[in-house]
Amino acid sequence: MPGLPAHYVVLGAALFALGLVGFLTRRNLIVMFLSTEVMFQGVVVNLVAFGRLHGHLDGQMFALFLLVVAAVEAGLALGLVILLYRRKSSLDSEAWATMSG
Amino acid sequence: MSPITAYLLYALFALGGAAVYLAMPRTREAPARIAGLILGLGAIVGGLILLGTRLMPASSVNPGFYIFAAIALFAAARVVTHPKPVYSAVYFVLVIVAVAALVLLEGAEFLAIALIIVYAGAILVTYAFVIMLAQQARLSLYDTRAREPLAGVVIGFAAMAAVAACTTDTSALPQIAAQPAASIVIQADVGNTLAVGRSLMTHYVVALELAGVLLLVGLVGAVALVTRKVPRDGTAEPPAPIGRIGKEVQPF
Amino acid sequence: MTMDIATLKTCGILILLLPLAGTLIVGALGRPVLRGRSHWPVILGVAGAVLCSFIVFGQALGTSKQAVVDVYDWIATGDAGGWFRINFLIDPLTCIMLVTVTSVSLLVIIYSRDYMRDHGHPERGYERFFAYLGLFVFSMCALVLAGNFLLLYLGWEAVGLCSYLLIGFYYGRPSAAAAAKKAFLVNRIGDFGFGLGILLIYLTFNTLDYQAVFKMVEHGRTASGAALTEGRSAAIALLLFCGAVGKSAQLPLHVWLPDAMEGPSPVSALIHAATMVTAGVYMVARCGVIFTQSATVMAVVAAVGALTALYAALIALTQHDMKRVLAYSTISQLGYMFLGLGVYAAGSAIFHLFTHAFFKALLFLGAGSVMHAMGGVIDMRQFGGLRRILPWTYRTFVIGSLALAGFPLLSGFWSKDEIIHHAMAQSPLLGGMGLLTAVLTAFYTFRMVYRAFHGAERVPQGVHAHESGKWMLVPLCILAVGALGAGYANVTPHAGGFLGFLEPGGALGGFLAPALKPFAAHAEHVGGGGHVLMVLSGLLAIAGIAGAWWFHVKRRDWPARVAEAAPTAYNLSYNKFYMDEIYDVGVVRPLKSGGKLAFGIDDYFIDGLIWLVTIVPRLLGFALRGLQGGSLQGYAATMGAGLLIILLLVLLL
Repeated sequence: MPGLPAHYVVLGAALFALGLVGFLTRRNLIVMFLSTEVMFQGVVVNLVAFGRLHGHLDGQMFALFLLVVAAVEAGLALGLVILLYRRKSSLDSEAWATMSG
Repeated sequence: MSPITAYLLYALFALGGAAVYLAMPRTREAPARIAGLILGLGAIVGGLILLGTRLMPASSVNPGFYIFAAIALFAAARVVTHPKPVYSAVYFVLVIVAVAALVLLEGAEFLAIALIIVYAGAILVTYAFVIMLAQQARLSLYDTRAREPLAGVVIGFAAMAAVAACTTDTSALPQIAAQPAASIVIQADVGNTLAVGRSLMTHYVVALELAGVLLLVGLVGAVALVTRKVPRDGTAEPPAPIGRIGKEVQPF
Repeated sequence: MTMDIATLKTCGILILLLPLAGTLIVGALGRPVLRGRSHWPVILGVAGAVLCSFIVFGQALGTSKQAVVDVYDWIATGDAGGWFRINFLIDPLTCIMLVTVTSVSLLVIIYSRDYMRDHGHPERGYERFFAYLGLFVFSMCALVLAGNFLLLYLGWEAVGLCSYLLIGFYYGRPSAAAAAKKAFLVNRIGDFGFGLGILLIYLTFNTLDYQAVFKMVEHGRTASGAALTEGRSAAIALLLFCGAVGKSAQLPLHVWLPDAMEGPSPVSALIHAATMVTAGVYMVARCGVIFTQSATVMAVVAAVGALTALYAALIALTQHDMKRVLAYSTISQLGYMFLGLGVYAAGSAIFHLFTHAFFKALLFLGAGSVMHAMGGVIDMRQFGGLRRILPWTYRTFVIGSLALAGFPLLSGFWSKDEIIHHAMAQSPLLGGMGLLTAVLTAFYTFRMVYRAFHGAERVPQGVHAHESGKWMLVPLCILAVGALGAGYANVTPHAGGFLGFLEPGGALGGFLAPALKPFAAHAEHVGGGGHVLMVLSGLLAIAGIAGAWWFHVKRRDWPARVAEAAPTAYNLSYNKFYMDEIYDVGVVRPLKSGGKLAFGIDDYFIDGLIWLVTIVPRLLGFALRGLQGGSLQGYAATMGAGLLIILLLVLLL
């Protein structure tokens, strides 16, 4: 594919995958959310690269709004983490393993 | 791409996976963790070298990419594998900076600065506050143990390898024509910030307003959440017995 | 004078339905409404049946033909126009049976009115008893009236059912329940052969109608036109005979009859003396055409009859229970009837059936009267010298005993003598066995009389013995008259004085002859010597009575000394020749082991298969349970893994 920024795409994939690994393996709620943020970074890299490929600003605009959403999500998520912490005095995600069907 | 390249690629990803697995938090400070980190560094370097030499036409890659890519990958790995949350947050800042630099290399200046301001400035500070509120003084069990590290690592790295394999092996993918879309084309003489601002106000004005509303909702929601009275587990009142709705039990 | 079909049809239906109606009324209204008056519907129903029987009898008196009355087309067979019908075959044999059955039934039911009362108060289950009796009369009449094998089988099974219900009337008593089961099961063995015989009839002749089958057998042809082999007819006859052996308690299927004495005495009198057990004899007489086709079969019938008669008489010598003695006596007399049939003296056999019904019922009802007076005790060792306490019972009992023993001029004498005469003509061995049995019969019958009614007066502890009421005594007296005089039905008033008067082959025989033609065709000519035999059998009877008098009145200690002197013989006789024990080892235990094996197979093999089927979902559940751990990260990992798999599939394939 002419001009596909493979290096950026691979990097984006790598960052996303690392974030996924962190989300799946870490038990601390805060680190879990940090991992999702890492995933967001991977996405941003990807978006910008593809925007550059196509030659317009859509990628960057998407990334900007993504930023907004990430900010809002971080705020609400951390509020919930505080509530969860108040409930159980622990940040362990295994303590909330009650969602058995 | 030639089979040797493919095998090397997969070998490097496997190496990286092993490195992350080894680096996962364990009960005590084991030499495995350090070995993992070194291995990881090696994998990153190897991968980048591979990228540069075999996979991409060398001329198209900016040398700065390698540096910042290495920093980003290493820092992300540390975010994921460091036992202490504070360190994870700080390493995350490093990730942000590296990503901002990478984005800057692609000419998205506004985005780069916005990333640093919003993420490193606002979001990370929020995280730091929450860590201060909620984190115990010493490392607790859930920090020092990872749950199912093998499964997680396999899933993540296999996905990563798959994506890498397809993006570098052009023969396996359907051809996509590069479409110059209807939106703003990058013009060489206009600064990025100006271009972004213009497009925000014209093409994406509705999205802009919605983003504002979203921020408002988030604000209100966060305040409403945190002021809730949540009883500590164990001291809560016993759940109300099943009774007749309307008489003994309030509907909803 | 021909028989009026319409009258016959009406009477036949009424004979069936009146007792049934009585049963239904008592069954429905007995407990709530009628209670102590429950006997009336059944008495009235059976009385109506008696009346109709006599009307039918009157119709058949003048003619020598048989009438087939079609009542109802019941089941359609596959063949065009083929039907299993409900139809009656009415001929002299049917009439005699009907009259016997209904009259004796009526007398027994009247007797039961008092018997089933405890000091005037109806026993528990009073209504049930009369309902069952009515059902029995209905079933027996259906059996007798039947015009085809299907209806015969229906009646056959129904009387077996009633026997079960009535033997086990006191169902709370374990021995009674066991006896009822035993009766039903042993009958079942016979009925199995009987059913097979009927199936074979259908296969051979393609119909179950009496007339059609008998005509085909006479002409020696099967339904397809092929010749009827002697082997086939012998097979059918033997299979039918199996049923007779079971129902009429012949060797080896006799074991149920002594145990059946657990039922109330009226039941023993009616079912196990006069009517149900005679169904086998009736059936063989009815199917005479088939039986007489093969001399071997007739020999088998005669041999079984003679053996049974002797065997039962030997056992009856040592029994202490009055009803047991009478039960073995019944088996023995039934053996006589089969002996008569086997030597082609069918008329004599039916005549003996007729007289036996009267005196045996009389004896059983008399024993019931004794039992009622002795408070339920019937063991002769517990009482004695009752002749002054129960005078009327004693008198009628003696009349019945004289008839059973074959005392000259009483009914039993005439009928038994004819059979022995024919048997002697056929084979001296059989005749000799018959004579020996006659002596033994006289001996044990009067042993019973002397032990129970003569000697010192003894009653069981705390029993206030008194004579029975008139409801019980009147039937006894009527039956006694029958026992005295029934024999004269077969005696022709000959010109020639007294000797001519004793000529056998009289009115009854003549009446029955058309129905029993197949037997007559093969009968040996019984020539002279009839008078000699008559005198001889009379003397033997008197000798038997005298012997009993000697052993049980004059020298009362001699029986015990004889028992000590010949312990083996005594034990064999007292323990019924260990028949029940043989059955236990040979039949019951293997069946029980087989049952345990089947139970084991069901438990382990079949349930094991089921278990295998249930294992599959359980294993599946066990395997899949891990998917839902409850933690968010687990679910995310599952999602990621799924995505990865799809990605790999798309890329690699």
